[in-house]
Amino acid sequence: MLDYLLRRFSLLLFMLFALSAFTFGLNYLFPGDLLTNFSGQVNTSFSQSQMLEDKYRINENVLVQYGAFLGRLLEGDWGVSLSSGQTVFSHVTLLLPATLELCFYALVMAVIIGIPAGIITSAYHRKWPDKIISTLTLLGFSIPVFWLALLLIMVFCLGFGWFPMSGRIGLLYEIPAVTNFILLDIWLLGFPYGGQAFVDALHHLALPTIVLAMYPTTVLTRFTRDSMLNVLEQNYIKTARAKGLNRRQIILDHALRNALLPVIKQIGLQFSTLITLAMVTEVIFSWPGIGRWLIDSIYQRDYPAIQGGLLAVSMFVIFANMLADLTHSMLDPVSRNQSHGKV
Amino acid sequence: MAKFSLYSEESNRSPLSRLWRNFKANHLALVGLWMFIGLALLAMTAPLLAPYGIDQQHSNALLLPPSWHDDGDVHFILGTDDLGRDVLSRLMNGATYTFGLSIIAALMTTIIGVVLGTLAGINRGFKSSILNHLLDITLAIPSLLLAIIIIAILGPGLLNTVWAIILALLPQHIHSVRNLVVDELNKDYIGAYRLDGASRAHILFRGVFPNIYEHIVVIFTLALSTAILDIAALGFLKLGAQPPTTEWGAMLAENLGLIYIAPWTVGLPGALLFLSVLATNLVGDGLRNALQARKAT
Repeated sequence: MLDYLLRRFSLLLFMLFALSAFTFGLNYLFPGDLLTNFSGQVNTSFSQSQMLEDKYRINENVLVQYGAFLGRLLEGDWGVSLSSGQTVFSHVTLLLPATLELCFYALVMAVIIGIPAGIITSAYHRKWPDKIISTLTLLGFSIPVFWLALLLIMVFCLGFGWFPMSGRIGLLYEIPAVTNFILLDIWLLGFPYGGQAFVDALHHLALPTIVLAMYPTTVLTRFTRDSMLNVLEQNYIKTARAKGLNRRQIILDHALRNALLPVIKQIGLQFSTLITLAMVTEVIFSWPGIGRWLIDSIYQRDYPAIQGGLLAVSMFVIFANMLADLTHSMLDPVSRNQSHGKV
Repeated sequence: MAKFSLYSEESNRSPLSRLWRNFKANHLALVGLWMFIGLALLAMTAPLLAPYGIDQQHSNALLLPPSWHDDGDVHFILGTDDLGRDVLSRLMNGATYTFGLSIIAALMTTIIGVVLGTLAGINRGFKSSILNHLLDITLAIPSLLLAIIIIAILGPGLLNTVWAIILALLPQHIHSVRNLVVDELNKDYIGAYRLDGASRAHILFRGVFPNIYEHIVVIFTLALSTAILDIAALGFLKLGAQPPTTEWGAMLAENLGLIYIAPWTVGLPGALLFLSVLATNLVGDGLRNALQARKAT
């Protein structure tokens, strides 16, 4: 196990290194002045730009520049946003939790709905529950996320007026940011406004979470179904059936544990897709998260912000994947013994 | 569950015709295939079929609802938008951009993916390890974010979007092709072939490819549905096709302000997007199921 952990850790370091190298390279690829792309300072005076050149080691070779870049990353000096004039790092720490919160609830919803749905479809393989759920997942799988969001807005916000259309919480409530996770903040404050702020935040969360959860739910349902069907084909299940166990016992006690192992890995792989979808969802619901900020940064050609956002989001995805991988190998001893260099 | 066949007669049909029989048995997949063919034909012939030009304005017919509505006009079957342009003609032309360009993007992705994936598959050891880990990193960057970064470098525009989508989709497809090739190379018949003295090229072109090309078609349908969604998403975010272009996502974004008074200008492009992705997924799913069914018999 220790050997395995070390191998994973070195892989993590390698991936973070390559990611930082990629981000560093982007400064050269983006249009505009190299120094501006690095620092986010525009219209600098001569002495200022001299100072920046020294700080960013622009006149030395690329490796030294990269070293300086890494040092700044670790210090938390991620440059200054071109559009707001504030540091990119402060933006990221403020905005990333909002996105993570949304993604987390969506993922929880996907797991709660998707996995049981997958189990049901495999238990009733080729019978009507399977057909209905499979058709529904295919529909959910194909629906463009922004269209779904607009349809829900048309029906539930404009039509019935049940849910608010944008933002995280009503303007009436003032919740000081501690962790930037809105529900957590409200909880830490001890449910102010007689609990109404909490209810309001939940109302704001409802539609974005449903929209965001649609895709991962369908993926998890299909994946659980396939994995269950694979396991149910195996010989030990036939043995169990021959021993006279009923279907409930076979599925819940014997098949489920083995079938859920690949699903855990799949949950980890969902993060990257989730962030992609969250970016679109945030734009539509004006959710103040990192996705909307990144898209705004593109409109404003805010290159330091794009870099910072890329770095934060990708680092999060890498860590999440690694965590899912570790959980998977903790539960599944077979996967630990795979030979080196094989994927 | 039956593992024996009722008739002892052997079925000597070719693999392809067995695949087609299995595929045909799934009616939904067949409907998907017809929708797919229809959309592809529409993408090629839209300018000839469309009743009006895409920028032709009818100043006496602004914001007409679809013709089944009481205020509708049969000359404009799906209504008009705020500039008096026929929605039907614009939607038909949109197929060329959204569906046609997605097919091209998915084809290019698949071709490049097959070449690089095969190279990754036949190499072993350190070289393949490096390649895999590099691919893992690009997988860690969400595909839309990667596309957005490529657009930040190239600048917005429809063609740049296509490049961005190809580059963003490539890593995962290289990965899946590589897995297919490695799986196939580990099978016994390839080992026997190798013992016969077959060269690497022989093994690949005579042994591996004939056995995985159907799976590559499935991969292509996956790439296509993602490409459609990504092109439309980028158009919707105003980073891809720019407004006068009739790309469906861009049309949706353009008409977003009309959602109160003319919901059909927002609903219809989305519905077409949904249908085209659904058709692609139906074909892909049907094909995958047919492949599994053929394997089982």
